[in-house]
Amino acid sequence: MKKINAKIIPLLVVAALVLCTTLAQAASGETGIPKEKWMDLLWRTLNFAALLIILVWALKRPLANALNSRRQGIIEKFEDLEAQKSEAERIYKEYEDRLTKIDQEVQSIIGSAVQQGEAEKARIIEEAGRAAEDIQRQAEMAVQHELAEAKLRLRAEIAEQAVQMAENLLKQNLKEADQTKMVEDYLEKVGALQ
Amino acid sequence: MNNTVLAKRYAKALFQVGKEENALDDFNKALAEMAKLHAEVPEVGDVLTNPLYPQDVREKVMTHLVEALQAPTLMANFFNLLVQKRRADVLPDIAQVFRVLVDEERNMCRGTVISAAAISSDLNDKIKSTLEKITGKQVVVANEVDPAIIGGIIARVGDLVLDGSIKTQLKGLEESIKGSE
Repeated sequence: MKKINAKIIPLLVVAALVLCTTLAQAASGETGIPKEKWMDLLWRTLNFAALLIILVWALKRPLANALNSRRQGIIEKFEDLEAQKSEAERIYKEYEDRLTKIDQEVQSIIGSAVQQGEAEKARIIEEAGRAAEDIQRQAEMAVQHELAEAKLRLRAEIAEQAVQMAENLLKQNLKEADQTKMVEDYLEKVGALQ
Repeated sequence: MNNTVLAKRYAKALFQVGKEENALDDFNKALAEMAKLHAEVPEVGDVLTNPLYPQDVREKVMTHLVEALQAPTLMANFFNLLVQKRRADVLPDIAQVFRVLVDEERNMCRGTVISAAAISSDLNDKIKSTLEKITGKQVVVANEVDPAIIGGIIARVGDLVLDGSIKTQLKGLEESIKGSE
């Protein structure tokens, strides 16, 4: 505002000098224009100058304030926008980081899931192997058991038949003398033991 | 009180009296005959023990039995006492315990010898001799024939059992074959 005043005041002074010079020429009668017209022009010019001075004097402060306020507002808005921009950039950066982290997490989760799946697969295969071994072992045991039972049954059958045959032979061939001899031998054996 | 305990008490008392009277054989014979009658003729046991028959009827029956068996007076009184006390059902047990007591008194025991066929007297003597040697007592042997044992003998004297039968040996052989690997 002070700069504006500094420019306007010389202009006004120059204008006043030009006017005075013109008026002096008019008063001396060197030009063809009547003196009254010059005075009217002078009067008008002075009115205009006075109006200008009054306007400058009256509007100088509010205008300066308004412009200053406007300037301050623009500066603040600019700073605010700068801050918003920084915040937006910061948020953008943050989201970018988070996105990167999310990608990493997703990769990590996928990796973990794959590892778990592999471990589960290995466990299932191992369990299946164990179950197969158990089944095989049980089947072998069952076979062994059946075999042993079959052997026992066969042996029992052979024993029964052998004894039956021996019994029949003895019944057919045992004589009274054999009976007596058998009893005597037994008595002798029992007596000897006693 | 069960019959065994009662039988032992009566038998011991009778045994003491018989020993004092020197009449153990007579007592033993009378008791054995009465027990045999009791066991072999169910009607006798029934009439002596069944409470449906009047007491005097039971006493009369016992009196007639005693007369028929010509039992010694002491034994006759004992039999009548049993009927009066309503303990005639203990008679077979008393006879058995009494016989054991008499056998013990005489260092005797009774046994059974089962054979597949009838055995000669010589062999029977040998068996008796062997059993006496083992038990250290005089043995009275009763013979039985059971062809199922095939051959040999089974002798039982008290708790002692001597099994020399072919049947048992064959059974042992069968078990041995079954058990062998």
